[in-house]
Amino acid sequence: MLEVDALRKSFYGTLAVDDVSFRVESGEILGFLGPNGAGKTTTMRMITGFLEPNAGRVTVDGVDAAKKPREARARIGYLPETLALYPEMRVREYVRFRAELCGVPRRETKARVDDALATCFVDDVASKPIGNLSKGYRQRVGLAAALVHAPQVLVLDEPTVGLDPRQIVKVRDLIRDLKKDHTILLSTHILPEVELVCDRVVIIDRGKIVATGTPETLRQQLTQAPGLAVAIQGEVPDADGILRKLPGVVRAARIGAGGETRVLLEAERGADLREAVFRECVARGWTLLELAPRQATLEDVFVRLLATREAEHGPGGEGLPTAVEETGSGEARS
Amino acid sequence: MKALLAILKREFLAYFFSPLAYVVLTAFLFINGYVFYAILLSLNSPETPRQELMALFFKNVFYWIFMMLVSSIVAMRLVSEERKSGSIEALLTAPVGEGTVIAGKFLGGLTFFLFLWLPTVLYPVALSRYGTIDFGPIAASYLGIALFGALFLAAGTFASALTKNQIIAAIVSFVMILALFLAGVFRELVTDPKLREGLGYLNLIEHMDDFARGLVDTRRVVYVVSAVVFFLFLATKALQGNKGK
Repeated sequence: MLEVDALRKSFYGTLAVDDVSFRVESGEILGFLGPNGAGKTTTMRMITGFLEPNAGRVTVDGVDAAKKPREARARIGYLPETLALYPEMRVREYVRFRAELCGVPRRETKARVDDALATCFVDDVASKPIGNLSKGYRQRVGLAAALVHAPQVLVLDEPTVGLDPRQIVKVRDLIRDLKKDHTILLSTHILPEVELVCDRVVIIDRGKIVATGTPETLRQQLTQAPGLAVAIQGEVPDADGILRKLPGVVRAARIGAGGETRVLLEAERGADLREAVFRECVARGWTLLELAPRQATLEDVFVRLLATREAEHGPGGEGLPTAVEETGSGEARS
Repeated sequence: MKALLAILKREFLAYFFSPLAYVVLTAFLFINGYVFYAILLSLNSPETPRQELMALFFKNVFYWIFMMLVSSIVAMRLVSEERKSGSIEALLTAPVGEGTVIAGKFLGGLTFFLFLWLPTVLYPVALSRYGTIDFGPIAASYLGIALFGALFLAAGTFASALTKNQIIAAIVSFVMILALFLAGVFRELVTDPKLREGLGYLNLIEHMDDFARGLVDTRRVVYVVSAVVFFLFLATKALQGNKGK
């Protein structure tokens, strides 16, 4: 549905996006994941025609965006990251304006506007000026405006950034709901969001794609087999050393005290340590309080991925991707 | 076409949500009313030679100062404001061409500019109660206002497309308009007859004198319209140029 082929963009000699290619299939939600400044916004701006790529091609539903820019844009609904709406306009007025701008036929306009307002749960503020709305409402108004002309593809740039937790849940539910009728490309630097919302993930760092796959496969490919968290009653100073010697254990680390000993075990791929750990504890007369599998999260994948790249290319000076706050690092902006 | 009208409507209405519009509107009516009153007063004194009042109204120096200043202020926000706030991103990623965006914004500004002049239509109407008024030259004068307003606003739209800063847009636009205006005035300083004739075509004061006498010369209309198209073309190019960065 949406095809991005070898996109490249540099600003004043600095390469912001370097040879980025991916496809978004019909009816899927693709997560575009990367730390701040990785080139997500620049890529999305090239897809939506706000920026012209230096090289590469964007195809939307078979339409080449460079050759027929207006036709391509008509198939895309775009929610920019820095969402600036006209504060003086009323919500319904604005969505109507967008419908007229995007060439929705006059007889359908009213129905489409009502529909978009209802879909995004903003019909209750339809006659309020946009400037008086909270950020969460504005975000949903932006979403309503993006889908009022019924585009096949939705491009959402950090749709949940700056929202409070309840609003985030609402917007995520809404996005999952939109999947029924739209193909969605969604960018984020928040990892749980990808796991919760997306079917497939493209990870981008410093302008280059570093990994592609479903959240599941990425986790399996890029992390060791799941480990175990063990809690033993009382202080057992050498617990990690003893458990480390069990067959199949790659690494063991002891943490904390306070009446109990916690040991984190990392296992070899495919090894199940639970029985061995249990028997060891019984044999030594330890009281086992807890024995829990440790699922590697996408976060682990991410950190590992970036750490290997760091080792290869030297430090890039970017904050950890798990940081929820904006780090203010220089994401390329026009 | 529909997109053009949608942009026009939004731009026109947006003026009324900013205090600037009301300040301009008030200042405009105050100065124009004052000028009208001053001309009326001077014509009333017996030693003044008989002249057409409305013709004086459209030809005096205040008229030109105001035309230039007001059109710079009306045009300055057209593109700059949206580039500053970032709403230009949503606008330019809609399926409309940059030319349509510029044309819609320009026409929205022009509509507001003409709206400013609307109350002055009352002056000749009021005068007609006390004497006979020839409405032909007055209609031609308003055509002149619309044409020069369009010319100045087109230059202002171009200036606005160049920067995110509205103040800079206003200054650049004023300088461009002043340069256009002075090009005609400079004729008086030139001795070469060919150049004198060429600059004569650019002399806006003469253009307006003609309109105020009720003379609509198609050459003058063609000059203004082609200059408008030229400036709007430049503005469109300026807007497209931003796509590179």
